[in-house]
Formats: sequence, structure tokens, C-alpha cells
Amino acid sequence: MQIEVGDYLALASIVFGIGAIGFLVRRNVLVQLMSIELMLNSVNLMLIAFNRYMPANHAGQLFAFFVIAVAAAEAAVGLAIVISLYRLRKTVHSDRADSLRH
Amino acid sequence: MTAWLPLVPLLLVCLGAFALMVVDVFAREKPELATLSTVILFAAAAVAAVMATGKGIAAPPHGVAPYLAVDTMAQFFNATICAGAGLCALLAGGYLHEHGLERGEFYALLVLSAFGAMVLAAATDLLSIFIGLETMSLGVYSMVAFRRGSHRAAEGGIKYFLLGSFAAAIFLFGSALIYGATGHTDLAGIGQSIHDGDALIRLVVLGMLMLIVGLAFKVSAVPFHMWTPDAYEGAVTPATTFMSVVVKSAAFAVLLRVLLTCFGDQLSADLRTGWPGVLAPIAAITMVYGNIAAAQQASVKRMLAYSSIAHAGYILVGVVALHSADPQLRQMAVSGVLFYLAAYTVSNVLAFGSLIALGSYGKEAVSYEDLAGAGRRYPLIALPFVLGVLSLMGFPPTAGFLGKWYVFSAALAGDDSLLWLVIVGVLASVVGAYYYLRVIVYLFMKAPEPGAPVAVPMRSGYVVAALLLSGYFVVKMGVSPAKYIDYALAAVGKLS
Repeated sequence: MQIEVGDYLALASIVFGIGAIGFLVRRNVLVQLMSIELMLNSVNLMLIAFNRYMPANHAGQLFAFFVIAVAAAEAAVGLAIVISLYRLRKTVHSDRADSLRH
Repeated sequence: MTAWLPLVPLLLVCLGAFALMVVDVFAREKPELATLSTVILFAAAAVAAVMATGKGIAAPPHGVAPYLAVDTMAQFFNATICAGAGLCALLAGGYLHEHGLERGEFYALLVLSAFGAMVLAAATDLLSIFIGLETMSLGVYSMVAFRRGSHRAAEGGIKYFLLGSFAAAIFLFGSALIYGATGHTDLAGIGQSIHDGDALIRLVVLGMLMLIVGLAFKVSAVPFHMWTPDAYEGAVTPATTFMSVVVKSAAFAVLLRVLLTCFGDQLSADLRTGWPGVLAPIAAITMVYGNIAAAQQASVKRMLAYSSIAHAGYILVGVVALHSADPQLRQMAVSGVLFYLAAYTVSNVLAFGSLIALGSYGKEAVSYEDLAGAGRRYPLIALPFVLGVLSLMGFPPTAGFLGKWYVFSAALAGDDSLLWLVIVGVLASVVGAYYYLRVIVYLFMKAPEPGAPVAVPMRSGYVVAALLLSGYFVVKMGVSPAKYIDYALAAVGKLS
């Protein structure tokens, strides 16, 4: 069986969907962070698959490297904010962060 | 060497930020950092403002060209962004000192975020847009959560971070789809491929919608605005100012560039078949919702957050006006948006700056009640506040009035297919007048409740300087707008 670009696109969309639903449904900030990573990795998968079928340049692969690097930086900042929230609240549930709701 | 000349504003800010981090280690007095970052940002703004007239614009060096534009429009945005960030640095110099939050990294974060915003405004490739977006956002997330001991700051920070990263992921997925559909990541190549008709149109449409959603989060358009009030209220006020002026300008810059370069063709830019049909209702809801929600707030800071949502709606009207195929009308619409963003920058700095100036340590002015009677006690600080809210309201002859005027008249210039949108906008700004005037009423016509805490103004040369500068431009752009709109028109140049 030949694996076509459409199959990669379908897989990437499913992974992205799982990430998006996880982000919206779960209330644990750490799980939400993981869901975002899942979404970013589905993008990487798609970029590399497209590049495989359009080998004129390496734009897709190049893009994927930058996504990986930026995702790491984002996780660092995100976890720092999570820690500062945890120190104050002793919880990582985003539902409990409600002092700004009036 | 001349090839590097148009990159001077970018390099100045980037190297300046590194210098700031080094100076931070050795500096004993943190306000010196505020002075230094203001000098860096204003210098970059001045250079960019000169280049926006076309002086010193040359083809960028090899390797930069496909990723960053250095045209006059990019320089106009550089000037607006750097001036806005410089004013925020001045406000921070007063605010952080007064509230005992002085840590040097705030200035480095501010200047680096401004650098990210400049990259974003000049980006001409989906890759450089993504990098600019994240460079800007990561700095802003940290600035929001800057007040470490505060529940509100941590909460605003986490909400902004989660939704911001979610939006970035959606934006990325859209970029990947467009890359797959067209084989290009540079905006010009994507536009060409769509124009020639050799792109997979279904993927392009899906990708375009996801790009628009991702950017709508950043400009805080309804229904992607939920993070805005919380993040704005939780952040230290200079960071709030930064978010409302710099982040908004940069996000609109990239929105304009993406829509014009990638999706500027007849079919995509048509009011019935393309993106203007999506953005027009978003603009309408944003204006209506932002103004109605702002009118219900008890906190002035939160009111200004909702007002910034409403202003995103007004600016979107100018973006929707790009649906016309006539290059001259497009030029008018883009220059209207540019003028609006510059006017909004100075008016908002004036309003937030006065709010900062009215509070001192432990006695921060937040709610309307805090402002009661402050105008009679301290007329010199209430005056810029009045000017700021009048300009945000769109009261002639201030900068804000002319901003609205140019944007709305661009929307009406071609045919009257956008008449309904302009009517919605005008009605929404009438609602807006209620809560802006309420500030003035509280300042001058209410007496504080007996025994209630009273706001005591702080003394800071930095804040005074920011208020004077922004006040000067609010009045100047209001009374002699011709010079500035011509400047914006020239910066936009001929559009195809």
C-alpha cells in the first residue's frame, strides 16, 4: 500500500484535533500545555510530509525546525508562569484561577 | 553597506536590548535602565520615521529579502511601534519605581518584545511572521506575569499564555495548509500561486481562515477576545499599555500584509466570496460588544481593556475596506488604518499614563470611585486624562476623531456596500461616549465617599514626560492632520 500525502494530512488533522479538544476540555494547565505541544507536532508532521512531495526547496523542513525551537522556548515561559501560579494557589487547575472574574 | 541601512531601526533595538541586559548587571539605579531603553526606542523610532518618507530605502542584503520587507510601510510601523514602546518604557520607569517592582529584566523584555513586534510588522514570509509573533508574545507573557506575588498577575499571565499559544498553534496549522496548497511560504509566492490558479483552493480557504483566526486572537477581536480583559487587568499597567498599543499595531500590520499580498486577488478580496465577508461581521460584533461590555465595568483599567477591543473593531472596518479592487481606494484604506493606529497609540498612552500618574504606592487608582473628585484636587493630572479619553471617544479635534474619520470614510469611498458597517460603528461609538464621559464626570463632578480610600498621585518625571509627549501628538495630529495623513499615504505608496 502506498502512503499518499493525503494520508499524512488526515493523520496530522486528527492529531491536531485531539490536541485542540484536549486544550478546550481539560482543566489541568499541564495537560493543556501538552495539548498545545500535540498541536504543534501535528503541524511539524504536515510540514515535513508536504516537503517530501514538493522537494523543490527545503522550506517545509526548515519551518519544522523553527517550530521545534520556538515550542521549547514557549514551554519554558509557560512552565515558569505555571510555577508562579502554583506557588500562590497550590493548584494547577485553570478553573481555580478565577479571582479576575467579577 | 547601503543594503544594511534600512535595517538600522531593527538592529538598533535588537542590539540595544542585549546592551540593556549587560547594563542591568552593573547598574545600581534601575531608573537608568528606563532612560536607556527609552533612548534606544526613540532613536529607532526617529530613524524609522525618516525612512518612512523613502529616504535610505534600498534593497535589503542578501538572505534578508525573502523574509523581511524594508519598505516605507514597514518603516512607518517601526516608527509607531518604537514610539509606543518608548512611551511604555517611560511609564514603566515611573510605575515600577513607585510600586517597588524594580527589576531590570522588565526593560529587556519590553525592548525585545518591541523587536519581535518590528519583525512581525516587516515579515513577508510565514516563517518570519511566526518567529516575530512568538518573539513578541513570549516577552509579553512574561511582562503580564511580572508582579510575582500577585494572584491577578499570575492568573492574567496564564490565561494570556494558554490562549496565545493556542492561537499560535492554529495560525501555524493554517500556515502549513497554505504551504501544502501552494508550495510556498513567502507571501508573494503564495499570492502569485493563488492568482495563477495552480493552488489547491480548498486547502487555501481553510488555511486562510485559520490564519485569520490566529491573528484575530492577537488583535483581540470578538469572539477571540476572552483573554483580553483578564490579561489587561492582571498585568502591571505599563505592560497593559504595551499590549494595547504595540501588540495591536504589529498584529494589524501583519494582517494587512497577509491579506494584501497573499489574498489580494479579485476573488479572495471580494465582499461576497472572500475574506472581507468574514471580517465585516467580526468587525461589527467587536465594535458593539466591546462598547457595551466596557460600559458595564466598575474598574477603569478593565473599561480601557474593553475599549481596546472596541477599537480593534473600528480598525477592522478599515481592513474590510480593502475589498475594493481600485488601488487608490486601497491605498486610502491602508493609510487610514496606519493613521488610526498611530493616533490610538498616543491616545491610549495618554489615558493609561494618567491612570498610572493618579496612583501612588499602595493607593493605585483602579475603579471609578478612586477617581472621584481627583480632577478638582489635582487638575494638572486630570487634564491629560480628559484629553486621552476624549481622543479615544473620537471627540473633535483630537487625533482619535480623525482616525475614525479616515477609516470610516475609506469604507464609504468606493460604493455603499459597507454603509451598514459604518452605521454600526457610529452607533457603537455613541455608546462609547457614555463610559468615556463617565471618567470625566467622576474626575470633576463627584466627591469621594466619606472615609473611602483616596487616590494620591505619584511624582515621577518619567510619567510626566510620557504624558507631555503623547498629549502633544494627540493635539498635533488632531489640529493639523493633513501632514500626518499625507505621511501615511506616502508610506503606503502605490498598491497594485
